[in-house]
Amino acid sequence: MDKILEVEGLSAGYGEKTILQQVSFTADTGEMIGIIGANGSGKSTLLKTLRGLLPPLQGHILYSGRDAGQLTAGEFSRRAAYLQQQTMVPFGYTAREIVMTGRYPYLSWWQQEGSGDEAVVRACMEYAGVAELADQPLHTLSGGQRQRVLLAKVLAQQTPLLFLDEPAAGLDIFYQEEIFRFCRELCQAGKTVLMVVHELSLAARFCSRLLLMGEHGLLADGQPRQVLRPEALSRAYGVAMEAVENPLTNHMDIFTSLPARDERHREWLQILLGRTAEGGEAS
Amino acid sequence: MKPKNLSLLLLWCAMLAAILLTTLFSLSVGEYEIPFSHILAAISQALGLPFGAAQVLPPEEMAVLWHIRLPRTLVGLLVGASLGASGAVMQGIFSNPLADPGIIGVSSGAAVGAVAAIAGGFTAVSLYTLPLCAFLGALLSVGITVALSMRHGRIPVMTLLLSGVVVGMLLAAVTAAILTVVNEQKLQQYLFWTIGGLDYRRWEHVQLGLVPIGAGILFLLFMARQLNVLVLGEVEARAVGMPVTTYRFLLLLAAAMTTAAGVSISGNIGFVGLVVPHAMRFLTGPDHRRLLPASVAAGGIFLVFCDTLGRVIVPGVEVRVGIMTAFIGTPYFLYLLRRSRNTFTID
Repeated sequence: MDKILEVEGLSAGYGEKTILQQVSFTADTGEMIGIIGANGSGKSTLLKTLRGLLPPLQGHILYSGRDAGQLTAGEFSRRAAYLQQQTMVPFGYTAREIVMTGRYPYLSWWQQEGSGDEAVVRACMEYAGVAELADQPLHTLSGGQRQRVLLAKVLAQQTPLLFLDEPAAGLDIFYQEEIFRFCRELCQAGKTVLMVVHELSLAARFCSRLLLMGEHGLLADGQPRQVLRPEALSRAYGVAMEAVENPLTNHMDIFTSLPARDERHREWLQILLGRTAEGGEAS
Repeated sequence: MKPKNLSLLLLWCAMLAAILLTTLFSLSVGEYEIPFSHILAAISQALGLPFGAAQVLPPEEMAVLWHIRLPRTLVGLLVGASLGASGAVMQGIFSNPLADPGIIGVSSGAAVGAVAAIAGGFTAVSLYTLPLCAFLGALLSVGITVALSMRHGRIPVMTLLLSGVVVGMLLAAVTAAILTVVNEQKLQQYLFWTIGGLDYRRWEHVQLGLVPIGAGILFLLFMARQLNVLVLGEVEARAVGMPVTTYRFLLLLAAAMTTAAGVSISGNIGFVGLVVPHAMRFLTGPDHRRLLPASVAAGGIFLVFCDTLGRVIVPGVEVRVGIMTAFIGTPYFLYLLRRSRNTFTID
């Protein structure tokens, strides 16, 4: 198998603040890797660092054996595409105009997009099911449509590697699964996807491999069923977690198991409902 | 032809017609009326065309046309185009429809340059000194603003915005300080400059503005595709492989130079750089390959239109163009804001 991405002893963060320490893993061509972990565990930081948007504090990132630090901005953008967690699009840019920006890596500064670029953009939009939205301003689209337009933009970059930061966040269940289905199909076709995921059951169903991020780095790395174990999950999320297989669907169900609320919580609840003298409004 | 292309074609035709009409009006109207037929004949004769070749034109009319009206109108077109283009670019760089060319200290810098030239008495030396000093002041001010906002080889737009405000305030204080010590006649001269106007513009002003404004606009038009990507923000632009700082710097510099050249030959003229790109975005959409040329044309049309109107609106008095643009621009901008309340979002 091709090692498309190798990460060795990577530490990353913002300036003085180190968020990830000593992360090492490799990715083969065609893998669909989900990055899971608690809020603030550095999932997005990892993706940004891998994409070269944040300078690594330590360690090495190799793209098909080449040091990422040696790649020019153009080469980098032809090898790996990146979908931000929240993409703000100012003014009324249409879906097609946004997807067209994905062709930027293939144009010299003096060139304009040609018919070849048009064809790629059309194909990407057809594939993502947003071709009929091409002339609509992005801000008039629903969350699911918008996210598929942004996915089409990332695809228009025609890179072997895709880094997606929570591509399914905020979408309804159909569009969530749709995004995962797209990614699985792309990986089967030979692309490699690294995506930050919060929906653990979906991650378990669709990803070929999961990276579980703990407080300072990688806690577990392997197939979903090996990673999604109560002990590792409890450590990563800092609360007691359960992971069971639903016998009807054969899907993993993952949930927290918290102790019952104590007496103090009941008092606070009474206050915020305005039912005690302390709350100011009695009777 | 697709309906979208057709409506764009119509837009360009309408723009062209509007440029010709406003120019004709501007050449004709004023204290000394020149009939359209005389203007057309004069232009035709100058170009050696057969139309109107036999017509005899009164010499005083021709003196007004060639030495007063034509340079004035050309300066108006140039300055308007420069403000329209750089306004659109600034709104793009800041990803914000409320940005205008003055936002990074161009106008306050030009004012310091102008007041220095006036206070030092250099304006008597040559017609060129005041514009040149204003131009240098504007560039210096933009240089300071950009330098203040540079961090680790990057230019974050938020810091740029704030340093623009700070530099603007400081330079306004410098201007005020100089003004407190100059005599009344110089004060009057400065006041005249600060309310931008196109009166007494001569061929020298056209000469001064033509090269920097022309070159600046051509460069900005050429960078339109890059600007489309830059508008989407630092992360998005870097993710597709754009060297963000380089392009941000180049575009800022070109837009500042273009504005500075405009301001230096006409004085401060507000609202054109804010309103024109904003209005054009409704017609062309945000793609800068259409928005920029439209803003260039509309900027020129709007400024010449305001100037012409200012000459006739109050009989016997000339209302300076800087006042007219504000009077027409403000209500129109408010109308745009209210009409588009639902879609007027930065995100």
